[in-house]
Amino acid sequence: MNLNWRAMLVPSFVVSLLLMVASQYLFIKSSFYKNVGFGIVDKTFGFQNYKNLFLDSFYIDAIIETFMVSGLATVFTILMAYPVAYAIARMKPNRAMILLATIVVSTFITIVIKVFGLIIIFSADGWLNKILIFLGIISEPFTVIGNISGVIVGLIHFCLGFAVLLIYSVVQTIPKSYEEAAQIHGASRINVFLKVIIPITMPGIIIGAITIFNMCMGAFTSAALLGGGRVLTLPVLIQRAVIMEVNYPMAATLAALLLAFVMGINLLSIALLKRFRMTKAIVT
Amino acid sequence: MSSRKLADGRAEMKNGTRMIRHWLGDIASLRWVEPAGVAVWCAGVLVFMLAPLVVTVGASFHGGSEYAVVVFPPENLSLQWYERIPGAHYQAFFLSIFLAALTALISCLLGVPAALGLVRGNLPGKQVISAIFRAPLQIPAVVIGVAFMQLFYAVGNQTGWYAVGTFWGLLIGHVFHATPYVIGTTTAVLQRFNANLEEAALIHGASPMRVFVRVTLPLIMPGVYAGGLYAFMMSFGDVPISMFLTSSSFLTYPIELFFGMENDFDPSILASSSLVIVFSLLFMLVVQKIVGLDVLLKSNNVN
Repeated sequence: MNLNWRAMLVPSFVVSLLLMVASQYLFIKSSFYKNVGFGIVDKTFGFQNYKNLFLDSFYIDAIIETFMVSGLATVFTILMAYPVAYAIARMKPNRAMILLATIVVSTFITIVIKVFGLIIIFSADGWLNKILIFLGIISEPFTVIGNISGVIVGLIHFCLGFAVLLIYSVVQTIPKSYEEAAQIHGASRINVFLKVIIPITMPGIIIGAITIFNMCMGAFTSAALLGGGRVLTLPVLIQRAVIMEVNYPMAATLAALLLAFVMGINLLSIALLKRFRMTKAIVT
Repeated sequence: MSSRKLADGRAEMKNGTRMIRHWLGDIASLRWVEPAGVAVWCAGVLVFMLAPLVVTVGASFHGGSEYAVVVFPPENLSLQWYERIPGAHYQAFFLSIFLAALTALISCLLGVPAALGLVRGNLPGKQVISAIFRAPLQIPAVVIGVAFMQLFYAVGNQTGWYAVGTFWGLLIGHVFHATPYVIGTTTAVLQRFNANLEEAALIHGASPMRVFVRVTLPLIMPGVYAGGLYAFMMSFGDVPISMFLTSSSFLTYPIELFFGMENDFDPSILASSSLVIVFSLLFMLVVQKIVGLDVLLKSNNVN
C-alpha cells in the first residue's frame, strides 16, 4: 500500500505530546512554588511543599490510606469480576450478551448516581440493615458513609464493569481445548482452574489489576461522597487544596506525588511481569 | 410393525435411563458445583451492580412530604419529585451529552490515525511512541484535572483567553483522557487484521485510497465503535477531571449531581437520576441495534 501510514500518525502525536508535556510540566513546576495565600503564588523554586508534606503525619496517613483503599478495592474488584468474565467468555453468545448489556449499562451510569443508591441501600434504618440485624449477622447497622469500607464499596462499583471487560479480553484468548486436555488427563475442574486457567491468564490479570488500581488511585467521587470528610485520600485532598484552601502549589505537590506513586507502581509491575514471562519461558 | 415399535420404545427407555444415570453421575461427581457456583456468583455480581440503580429509581417515586428523607421501597407512589427537577439539571444533562458525543468524535479522529500509524507505520522507536500515546491512562484522573486547570490558567495569563469554565476547556481535558482508549481498541482490531483482503482489492484494481475507504475502514470499524463508546462513557460519567474545569455557572451533569449531593440534598436529584438511568438504557438499546454491544468484546484491548 502506498498510503503514508507514518504521516497519518503525526497530527495526533503532536497533539497528544503537546497536551501531555504542557500540562504535566506546568503543574509539576508549580509544585515547587510557594503558596503566599489567597491564591497568590511566589515563583521561587524550592522543596518546601514536599518537605511540609513528608513531615506532616496527616499527609503520610492520607498516602497510606489511599494505597490501602485502592489496593483492597482492586483485589475485591478482580475477585468479583474474574468469574463473570470467565462465564461471559465460555457462555453461549446470546446469554453472554444479556450479562454484557447489564454490565455496560451499569458502567455507563455515572458513579454519583450509584453512590446515591448505595447510601439508600445501606441507610441505618433501611431494609437491608433491618434484615441483617434481624438475622443476627450484624449487631449494629452497617452504613457506607464516613468509613473506609463504604469508600471501598464505592470504588468497586466504579471499576467492576471495566474489570470484567478487561479480564474477558484475556480469558477469551485461551482456547477451550487447553481445559479439555487437562481434564482428559484426569485433572479435576478445580485443578484445571487453579493450575491451567489462572496461570495462563496471570499476566493479563496483573495488567488488568494495574489498570483498576490506577483508576482507584485517581478516583475521587466515591471517596469524597462516601468518605464524608473522614476518609481523606490523595484525590480528595487535592480537590480540597484547590477548592477550599485555594493552595495551588500544595495541590500540585499532592498531584505530583500521586502521579509518582502510580507511575512507580506501574513500572514495578511491568518489570515483575517481564520477569514472570521470562521464568515461564524458561520452564516451558 | 409392533415389534419395531417395541424396540424403539426399549431403545428410548434405555436412552432415558442412560441420561438419568448420566445426571446422577454428574451430581455424584459434583460436576454441577462449578456451573452452579459460577451462575450464583454472576447473579450476585449483577445484583450488586444493579441494586443501587433499582433503588434510586424506586426511591424517586416516594410520595412522602419530608425533604431529605429517602425511602425504599417508596411509600405513597407519586411523581412529585419529577415535577420539581430544577431546570439546571436538564441543562447540565444536555451539556454532558453534547460534550460526551464530541469527546467521542474527536477522540476517534485523533485515535484512529494514531493506531493506523502505530501498527502500519513501521516506525523507529515504536515502543516509545506507543508509551507516550498511552500515558494518559496512567495519569490519575484527578491529576489530569489539576494539570489542565493550571495549564489553562497559565495560557490565560499569557493570551487573555481562559479555558477554565468553558466548553472547550472541558473538551480538551476529556479528549486527552479518552483518546488512549480509542487507540487501544483500534490497535487491537488492526493487529488481528487480515492484510490479504486489502491485497485482493488492490490486485483487482482498486486505488489505495479506495481500498482504505472501502476495505480497511469498514473492517476496523468495530474497534473504532468500541473506542468511541468507551470515550463517551468516560466523558459522560466523569467527575475528577470536570471538577477542576467547570465553573459554577457551567456544570456537567455528574458535577451538578455531585454538588447537589454535597450541599443541599433534595429528592428531585433522585428523579433526575432516574431519568438519566432510563436514558442510558435507551441509549444502550440503540447502540445494540446499530452497532451491537459485542464490539466491546471483540476489540477489547485497552492495555
